[in-house]
Amino acid sequence: MYKNTAQLARTHKLQGCKVCTTVAAIEETSCDLCGAKLEGHRDKSPQYFFIKSPQRFSKDSPQRFSKDSLQQTWAWLITSILLYLPANFSPIMRTRFFGQVTDNTILGGVVTLWEHASYPIAIIVFVASVLVPMVKIVVLGWLCLSVQRGSTFALLEKAELYRVTEFIGRWSMIDVFVVSILVALIQLGNVMSILPGIAALAFSAMVVTSMLAAIAFDPRLLWEGANKVQLERSRSNDE
Amino acid sequence: MVDVPVLEVGKQALCPRCNYMLSANRYYAQERIFAFSLSALLFLLLANAFPFLGFSAQGQERTVTLLQSVAILITENFPSLAVLVFAFIIFIPGLFLIGIIYVSSGLTLGRLLPGMKRILRWSFMLVPWCMGEIFLIGILVSFIKIVAIADIAIGLSFWAYILFSVCMVEVVLHLDRREFWHHIRNLSNRRMSP
Repeated sequence: MYKNTAQLARTHKLQGCKVCTTVAAIEETSCDLCGAKLEGHRDKSPQYFFIKSPQRFSKDSPQRFSKDSLQQTWAWLITSILLYLPANFSPIMRTRFFGQVTDNTILGGVVTLWEHASYPIAIIVFVASVLVPMVKIVVLGWLCLSVQRGSTFALLEKAELYRVTEFIGRWSMIDVFVVSILVALIQLGNVMSILPGIAALAFSAMVVTSMLAAIAFDPRLLWEGANKVQLERSRSNDE
Repeated sequence: MVDVPVLEVGKQALCPRCNYMLSANRYYAQERIFAFSLSALLFLLLANAFPFLGFSAQGQERTVTLLQSVAILITENFPSLAVLVFAFIIFIPGLFLIGIIYVSSGLTLGRLLPGMKRILRWSFMLVPWCMGEIFLIGILVSFIKIVAIADIAIGLSFWAYILFSVCMVEVVLHLDRREFWHHIRNLSNRRMSP
């Protein structure tokens, strides 16, 4: 369990700036120091497409502060899920070898590497381009759902999981860079040349959208379930 | 909400709730960021000046510069991919470095330069989109893929790009949001109360 020593800014009618970490009064609309937009003044009750029971949130839940965070995360996440399919099942590059054209998908490339007994590289490519994006999508979806359910389960681990996801997301671009280098180097006309495939575009779009999803997600929302419990406890102590 | 004290050099502040490092005042962080971002920018420029990679097979040879290797994606009918790759490996890192150098020189001079806050805000937004080191690993993987069928020549620019990536990693490692804004806050307070 986490140490329950956190002071919630909103119980003191304060809010923090996400850009420069300055503390401001809750009514402020833009940060004094850095000029970034502040959202504490926004008073919207949580009404989400996905949320079944808004009453799980306390009346002064900061849900309203990061009102758009979950929606944006879902939007980017769904986009990247849609892109995941063409990215993995259409050809990422076409090889022309003495006039003969063959299409290569990512998974096909992994299988070829495996058959040629280059096990370490096959594993690296598989992890970076197939496993990481999938795990990332599943993790972000799970985090969003658990915020919506106001879950208090394994919060420290979830926070750590979020940080890891945010960090490793960029590394999926490896495959796109590999293709672009191969395309740049191997251009010997009909003898041997490599052309990019449509999946290279879909794949990079998927990486970009899933990175945007991770950036849009506000990890502070994870603690909302715990905050609610804490707020209620302090309220019942007052009475 | 945590009141992070002004940190002594070499100390870190951890979140009382999730134990995450909130801020760290590393040894000579400002000086290192300034020095390494200057050299990173220099190496990035050099990486664009010389041949990047060469390739020979079946009696044919081919040498490309970094920019040519991106431009070939345009001629192969993938301009959008070319734009993305160009942005991630050259343009965004370059912008980020220029921004950080500008802010760092302002802090070193002890003066608020025009637009400094906005530039710092944007520079921090650019950090996750700098993918120099990922590009390098990508190149190594593609070497492994073609080493069986061709000879590869490594150009001067390739070494420059490696040095650029090393400097870049050093800059990003020392970057600390709280420290930067703390210095800026001090500067703007000083200006308001002379």
